[in-house]
Amino acid sequence: MTQPSDTSRPSGGSRSPVAAHPVTSAVIAILILASVFFAVWVPLYASATPKIGDFPFFYAYLLIYMPVLGIVMWIVVTLQGRLRRRPGAKGPAAAGDSEVAR
Amino acid sequence: MSNVNAVTFTIVVVLFLVVTLTGFAAARWRRAEDMLHLNEWGLGGRGFGTFVAWFLLGGDLYTAYTFIAVPAAMFGAGAVTGYFAVAYTIIVFPIALIFLPRLWSVARVHHYVTPADFIRGRYGSRGLALAIAFTGILALMPYIALQLVGIQAVLTVMGVGSTSGNAFIKDLPLFIAFGVLAIFTYVSGLRAPALIAFIKDTLVYVMIIVAVLYLPAKVGGWGHIFSTAETHMKTISPVTHKPTGVFIPTTGNSQLAFSTLALGSALALMVYPHAVTGVLSTKRRDIIKRNMALLPIYSIMLGFIALLGYVALADKVTAANVKKAGNAQLAVPYLFQHLFPSWFTGIAFSAIVIGALVPAAIMAIAAANLFTRNIFKEFFKSDASPRLQTRVSQWVSLIVKVGALLFAVSLPKTFSINLQLLGGIWILQTFPSIVSGLFTHWFHRYALLAGWLTGMLYGTIAAYNVSTPTTSHWAGSVDTVFGHTVYIGLTAIILNLAVSVILTLVLRAARVPAGTDETLPQQYSADPVETPAPAPAAAVLGSEVRGGGGGDLPRAARQLAAVRGGELTPRRPTWTRPGRTAGWPGCRPAPGA
Repeated sequence: MTQPSDTSRPSGGSRSPVAAHPVTSAVIAILILASVFFAVWVPLYASATPKIGDFPFFYAYLLIYMPVLGIVMWIVVTLQGRLRRRPGAKGPAAAGDSEVAR
Repeated sequence: MSNVNAVTFTIVVVLFLVVTLTGFAAARWRRAEDMLHLNEWGLGGRGFGTFVAWFLLGGDLYTAYTFIAVPAAMFGAGAVTGYFAVAYTIIVFPIALIFLPRLWSVARVHHYVTPADFIRGRYGSRGLALAIAFTGILALMPYIALQLVGIQAVLTVMGVGSTSGNAFIKDLPLFIAFGVLAIFTYVSGLRAPALIAFIKDTLVYVMIIVAVLYLPAKVGGWGHIFSTAETHMKTISPVTHKPTGVFIPTTGNSQLAFSTLALGSALALMVYPHAVTGVLSTKRRDIIKRNMALLPIYSIMLGFIALLGYVALADKVTAANVKKAGNAQLAVPYLFQHLFPSWFTGIAFSAIVIGALVPAAIMAIAAANLFTRNIFKEFFKSDASPRLQTRVSQWVSLIVKVGALLFAVSLPKTFSINLQLLGGIWILQTFPSIVSGLFTHWFHRYALLAGWLTGMLYGTIAAYNVSTPTTSHWAGSVDTVFGHTVYIGLTAIILNLAVSVILTLVLRAARVPAGTDETLPQQYSADPVETPAPAPAAAVLGSEVRGGGGGDLPRAARQLAAVRGGELTPRRPTWTRPGRTAGWPGCRPAPGA
């Protein structure tokens, strides 16, 4: 393989996007963990009451969870997009993306 | 074929013909100059946008077997074996959001086609890559066969073929359906299921929305449906002397079974090779992320599909029919046939049949790519040209489908179902290698291989030993560990991880050389936004960048290489030093090597 010569400057300084945006990063981590936890922790919702319409709570909870999850995931993706647009970087492609979770 | 409803039958045949034509027409869709390249045939040119990807992934992950088996499980045993699928499709998206974008980026930079390609590049280990590829093919075969079981369930209820004594005539409709599928997959590659997924998903949505609005009132409303289900699940079975099923998991063990099944299945889903194929076919990194927010719309549908199992219980005629046939898988087809007008039954049945073709095609392509890249090219012909690789993949996709067909026709149905259950446990054992590899290079290749083997052996043996009073082996996917009821796959992956960690420590202490890692930290977050899909002939990264960057090589290269503040690159300070020729995907000496 030929190797393109790297003439780039050190991009974005030395701070990582996570370190640069601690609050946003923490919010992303909490949202991801919470959306897993509230589905995995069955004792939270394994009951017949309160009924929602004719649906036992257990069944209604997971059905309502879905659209809520969609919204939460959308917020997470938007926040991640904000993480990578650091000051000085132009456009979303100028710097690498970042994940909170490693 | 005396009791075939003409209207239903005609509608199914017509819609099947429409799908067949679409499948062949797909070869011309987004046509590339050279279709004989694995990026084109096997990944649809790596150019699908958010919209297409949503249909493709939805069509890929929610299979016909799901539409048949999840309500069947609800019908038979209630929440723990059936409704867990709803929790599972919730958990899968946040987890996938953590690692799939990284897999996409590194695969795009290095032109990886399969998950095993990534393992080969990350750990420099042919053995570990072979293990991953082997597991993938092994797990996909019964999964494809089960799509056929889904079609068979519909055909049986339609009365097509099943009454004939001749084995060949009996399965003729299935042969035709699969023959057509095999040919258009051969011709059009991943473009065929991507285009057909539009038809499939539209039909499935229509089917579910109508079913949910129309059926409950017919059988006495949701209140009645849930109370019937509750009564049924609490009835003591004369055979097992235990309740028939679980309506709401209130005991500790049923809750643990529910959540471990959901968690284990969620971890497994996105490392299935056909899911990876769908993910890698997208154009940009953002598309994967956006889809993790959009795909839950599909899961709402799955929730209602699951509840159709309870609707079938509440409908006396359907329940009696299913009991007579002795096969819970027929619950949904019988329910539709009994309560829908025959024309709509035709549409609903078509949705299920077409819903089987889309994932079956993607799975066959994924299995074929695994064979070509990680077995054929790796071990038999290392200089295979892209053209030859594509030809091999095309033929293997045919062989895989014939194999699955023989599987479905000749073996008892329970056998394919057991194998699919095992497939989930097996594929979960590739999770530690793939996902840990996306974040760290700490694990040793031999340790991961040993962990994989441990998980595979434990999972297989434990699943074999599950018994109930009615079934001596393979009776379920949960077993008892230290008094707790846990999904076997999850126990196996914990053992797998434990072995991997301990052996990594041992091997590192013994200074056993790690494999050569050809990836660089920043490649896991690379987002070549302005770079189109790799040109078929591009074996060289430079030409790919040049192709899209309009000659602005340094800038495009910088985008690809964008270092994330250096936080992940302590070992490569040279990368950020201007003017220095950096080893692009080249080899980094492994730590300790």
